[in-house]
Amino acid sequence: MRASSPSSHRVISVVAGLGSSLLLLFLVAPIAELVTRGATSGIRAVGRDTELRAALILTALTATGATLIGILAGTPLAYFLARTRSRAAAAVGAVLDLPLLIPHPVAGIALLLVLGRESAVGGSLLKAGLGVVGTPLGIVAAMLFVSAPLYVSGAREAFARVDRRYEGVARTLGDRPLRVMRRVTLPLALRGLVASAVVMWARAVSEFGAIVILTYNPKTVSVLSYDRFTTFGLSETIPVAAALVLIALIPLVLLRVLRYERRMDQPW
Amino acid sequence: MISIRNLTARVGEFHLRNVSFDVPEGRYGVVIGPAGSGKTTLLEAIAGLTPILAGQVSLGKKDVTRYAPEDRGIGIVYQHGYLFPHLSVRENIDYGTGNGAPAAQEVSERLGIAALADRDVHSLSGGERQLVALARSLARRPPLLLLDEPFSALDPKRRTHARREVRALHREWGFTALQVTHDFTEAGLLGDVAILLDAGRVLQQGPPDEVFRRPATPYIAEFLGAENVLAGTVRVLADTGPDFVAVEEPLPAGALAPGYHALEFLSGPISIYTVGNAEPGSAYAVIRAEEIAVARTEPATSARNVFRGRIVELSTLGALGRVTLDIQGVQLVASLTARSVQELALAEGEDVWASFKAMAVHLC
Repeated sequence: MRASSPSSHRVISVVAGLGSSLLLLFLVAPIAELVTRGATSGIRAVGRDTELRAALILTALTATGATLIGILAGTPLAYFLARTRSRAAAAVGAVLDLPLLIPHPVAGIALLLVLGRESAVGGSLLKAGLGVVGTPLGIVAAMLFVSAPLYVSGAREAFARVDRRYEGVARTLGDRPLRVMRRVTLPLALRGLVASAVVMWARAVSEFGAIVILTYNPKTVSVLSYDRFTTFGLSETIPVAAALVLIALIPLVLLRVLRYERRMDQPW
Repeated sequence: MISIRNLTARVGEFHLRNVSFDVPEGRYGVVIGPAGSGKTTLLEAIAGLTPILAGQVSLGKKDVTRYAPEDRGIGIVYQHGYLFPHLSVRENIDYGTGNGAPAAQEVSERLGIAALADRDVHSLSGGERQLVALARSLARRPPLLLLDEPFSALDPKRRTHARREVRALHREWGFTALQVTHDFTEAGLLGDVAILLDAGRVLQQGPPDEVFRRPATPYIAEFLGAENVLAGTVRVLADTGPDFVAVEEPLPAGALAPGYHALEFLSGPISIYTVGNAEPGSAYAVIRAEEIAVARTEPATSARNVFRGRIVELSTLGALGRVTLDIQGVQLVASLTARSVQELALAEGEDVWASFKAMAVHLC
């Protein structure tokens, strides 16, 4: 095989570098433009725009609720998936990816079929005083549906990185499995679990497609920005959209901090 | 006592097959085997950390095969320590005992790690990590301690100290130990029982001295570092009584047991004399290098096997010298002290005499 010449290496490097730079620019430029144009007005709008303030609080609360449910129910599932080598576990893992693959309005429609007033589950919940459609509960359901798989997937990776021998040693030192989970597994997986929860929360905050099908009102920030755009046009939407970007930056910063923390899951 | 019967386990594509052995109560067993022979899997199966497909693990009179790891009374120490990285050294050592258990303090002091107590485990060297892991398991005083190359990262001085302390604790506290090692010296120094494992099977077991001197197969002999493994043919000297070795005092017990014969082993042009119960036919003779004496002149020795040969290779490493002799086309390696090599003024190309006793020859 003939070795490629230094000049062809240079051409490949230039093309690759150019492609990467353009992609980066494409991803960053719209957000930078939005923040540049709307950050100040967005922060000011939070002060005077009661609807935006209510949407922000609703978004934060429902995303936090969905994330807490995801953590409580998803952590044991993630541990099971990380520690089980069976076809059933592989099938469950594949099913968990489904909500990430389908378009989110379709996810909303699917949720509506299961949780809508006419459905068995939705009807029963309504009778119990827990209306889903058109309520914050619907927002939580939509957020949970689209973002929980991200948490489970990340938590599964975090658990998989904890060498089973730590758990084995802890058991030979007298701990029952639940105590091992509390004293060893969770502390060692904590960084990954927190990072996964942050990603889930951020994804929940930014959800629109499924929410708009289940609960248009009360409005989350994403629904409000769409509503403002269709009703008043671009200039009225910019402060709302910028506020949403600023919220999304919080978990991004958190993630960076976590990533630079010392790794706790290496064998020692 | 630990009793393993037909233990069969599978980890990925690796199989541990029908492993059986015993280590008597309060004794020290060593498992020797090449990398990938299943030593760690064996320890984990005994501890209940690897599911077994078949077989039985008994501790004393108790069948613990179905017991959870925490109920077996077994401690395990891995080569890499597996110290909990979110805990300090002290918290690691106290993990299984609660704060400041007397045994934890005693072990820390005896292993020389008491001063490390407040350190973060990330700041420890590999050897220190091994000592802390050892202390963590010992602190619980388990009836059975499993050790997976626990001294491998220690410098020679600390290794000697740690070995001595672990052996002393083993004697004082009376626990049973089973240690995995690559190190034949360590196996000889520590072990009461040696178990030779290869490809998931036990090849041989017995007292370390017996396993080293009387390997069951040429493969084991070579694995155990025997330098001289010769192929040849056994002939029973039916007309010669086994007392022809009686001049080689002292004879080990059983050397002249019923059924034992004087034997001649023909390897190429040389005849080697020994005694044993081998059947006539093809076999291998194993002679450990340290059993062969080298002299400048024909030795006035009681040894039955005396040969004249030429030195084809001579090397010294530290206090030991290694002399390769060519005896009528058959190569034999002798191990001498470096001082002996110097005193005898040995040099490559010179003719010397090699001798070894009939009892130094093991046929397999």
